[in-house]
Amino acid sequence: MSFSGNKVLDNVNFQLRQGEVHSLMGANGAGKSTLIKILNGIYQAVSGNIEVDGRAVQIKNPKDAERLGLAFVHQELNVCNDMTVAENMYIGNWIRNSMGFYDRKGTSRKAGELLRIMGVDLDPDMPVRRLRTAEKQIIEILKTLTQDAKVVILDEPTSSLNEKEKENFFGIMRRMKENGVSIIFISHFLEDVLTLSDRVTVLKDGVNNGVFTAGNYTKDDLVVAMMGRKIDSDETKPPKIAQNAKTVLEVEGLCSQKKFNNVSLKVQEGDIVGVCGLLGAGKTEIARAIFGLDEFQSGKIILNGEEIKKPRPDLMIEKKVALLTEERKQEGFVPLLSIRENESLSVMKEMASRFGVIDRKRQEQFAEDISKRMTVKMSGIEQQVVSLSGGNQQKVVIAKCLASGPKLFLLDEPTRGVDVYAKSEIYKILRQAAEEGTAILIFSSELEELLANCSKIIILKKGNVTGVVETKELTKNKLLSMIG
Amino acid sequence: MKERTQTIKAVFGEDIVRLAIILLFIIVMSIASPYFLTVRNMMNILQNISLQGITAIGMTMVIITGGIDISVGGVCAFTAWVAASIMKGGTHWVLACLCGVGIAVLCGAINAFSVGVMKIPPMIASLAMMNMTRGLQTVISGGSTLSGLPEGFQVIGQGSLFDVIPIPAIIIVVLYVLAAWFMNRTVLGRSIYAVGGNPEAARVAGIKNTRVLFFAYIMCSVFACIAGLVFVSRTNSAPSTLANNLEMKAIMAAVIGGTSVTFGGKGKIMGTFLGIIIVGLMTNALDLLGVSAYYQQFIQGLMVLFVVFLEAIRSNRAAKRA
Repeated sequence: MSFSGNKVLDNVNFQLRQGEVHSLMGANGAGKSTLIKILNGIYQAVSGNIEVDGRAVQIKNPKDAERLGLAFVHQELNVCNDMTVAENMYIGNWIRNSMGFYDRKGTSRKAGELLRIMGVDLDPDMPVRRLRTAEKQIIEILKTLTQDAKVVILDEPTSSLNEKEKENFFGIMRRMKENGVSIIFISHFLEDVLTLSDRVTVLKDGVNNGVFTAGNYTKDDLVVAMMGRKIDSDETKPPKIAQNAKTVLEVEGLCSQKKFNNVSLKVQEGDIVGVCGLLGAGKTEIARAIFGLDEFQSGKIILNGEEIKKPRPDLMIEKKVALLTEERKQEGFVPLLSIRENESLSVMKEMASRFGVIDRKRQEQFAEDISKRMTVKMSGIEQQVVSLSGGNQQKVVIAKCLASGPKLFLLDEPTRGVDVYAKSEIYKILRQAAEEGTAILIFSSELEELLANCSKIIILKKGNVTGVVETKELTKNKLLSMIG
Repeated sequence: MKERTQTIKAVFGEDIVRLAIILLFIIVMSIASPYFLTVRNMMNILQNISLQGITAIGMTMVIITGGIDISVGGVCAFTAWVAASIMKGGTHWVLACLCGVGIAVLCGAINAFSVGVMKIPPMIASLAMMNMTRGLQTVISGGSTLSGLPEGFQVIGQGSLFDVIPIPAIIIVVLYVLAAWFMNRTVLGRSIYAVGGNPEAARVAGIKNTRVLFFAYIMCSVFACIAGLVFVSRTNSAPSTLANNLEMKAIMAAVIGGTSVTFGGKGKIMGTFLGIIIVGLMTNALDLLGVSAYYQQFIQGLMVLFVVFLEAIRSNRAAKRA
């Protein structure tokens, strides 16, 4: 299959062989999603053509794409939570009995077979609601197989998977390949791309900036092709904290039923501490409990020496605490509001008169300044946040958090779905905040991120703290074995 | 100059469809009827839409929070009836009106409590309130019509400035300007948008969502009460059928005005104002053309469909461009 286009994409050629995993990489805004949307029939190419099996084809809408055997798995999951695993896998194509009615047992049996072949240990009759995100994603991928897809396009499929689940996922990919399915794999994760791909195409500013074949390239080659420069790795050094640094946050024996147990931790001003654990280890839950978004049963949260008995988000913001939530789209920003309003969301009151009338000039100036500091790429502060690329959205959300000048900054998966360059910029911003005295606590499942930025890492396993380690003494493999 | 065009664009950018419809109406009708484009008729229109129009302000606020309030008709009728019967009983009319507003605050607070604290879907919560208030109004009115209200009170609905501009017309314009300013410029107004646009993000940013909901629902009931008082004063009577179907009319105005009922955070007070003007112009036009009331309702429904279709086409196109 080949394709060439124009404008947002300029003369891009892309070729996919049968049974090949072909990765598509590029910074946010490089044109990956545009290319994919053209393949899906959502956009039309101005010029150029698409061929499937050597025949020129027209893809005018998603139905055409489906007919041609192209299947798309998006970052947002589209499962029906109240139907079973089997029903979801065969959605719309349920097995029928001789009378033409839905055959529940037959559907379940066929789904069970497919799950076995793919090496997935799931009960086909289980309601999807009870599955974890990673498992739902696998259901989405298997769905494409029941539709006899020849080409499967996966958009950031590994971003919510932990290391073990990734192994599993890679296994499924390999089995799909063996069955002659071709896969387009879109990802920001260099390691995953490196492990999985037969070939890699890198887009930069809408042009094809290099095709790499497995075994003939390094991670650095990909970064250079994506960004046009190498990311300076010297920048990433754990923070040094002053000897007389005060303890900002102290958590003692925090418990929440079924979520986490007896969690204790400590962060000092100017320090960056990581909390590491697999999906479901309780990272998000702990962050939310400290910020007062969820309740906890027992334990103490001590902020600057003062015990906070019942944290509430508004109270915590008053006490100079900020939280960056895990789900950017669901919890991070208000999509229809402008960059200006989102960035000043938590400090609106400080920009208003006694009667709550907002000083517009001040708000504009504030948004201009902080956007510049965060290097947000935008047409102006009145642009809607939803129209920004993922990395820039995240910068706006971080700006919103930093707007209140927090003394304690909790971040839950701060760089999910963000490209390598934006990532390094976000780390820079965090380190700068730490240098200015903010205590930072990063909850993350991305090991490299924690190793590069934190002075120490708290290991979390099934809701229990199982260790606190100095980053200096750690390697990725060692950390991996500790959390698994 | 550039800044000025930008402001104009910011205010009316999304309202192009509605402005075009209004303009079209005025052109066609001024050809069809010589009486249409007179000051008197224009004032008449503003006066006629006051009940629905004032209610629609609060409704827009509630819809922007991502909710809906179908109890406005009931609240309007009940509170206006209570106020009317108290003043008929000899209490000063200002005090009577305040009584009505007080009850409205209570109704709104109960709605907000159901939605914000008990997490009951707004449609269900306000359905219960609708039946409660309608029921109580039927009990106290006994199906009869109240009339002969104090003269001081009648001035609100029947008086006019310089014998030209009726007071209800002034009230509606002033309330819309105030509400639009409030929604655009104050912390609470912007919080309503934030809570409707993304409740979780608002909570994380330290906004007290429940408080914002209380405010919106209470304002919605209070606006319904004010609308009822103005109407009762204008007609000098409180019929038992007062404010029938008012909730649907208010929702209609908001929807024609571009407020989204499918997701929160989208809508403008001035959009609703244009919506209510469209409804007013159309009703007036149909009256002038002598179309029967039975057809009018059908045509109004058709109108809603027409406007939302145009709006959908416009926004789908905009989405494709982005």
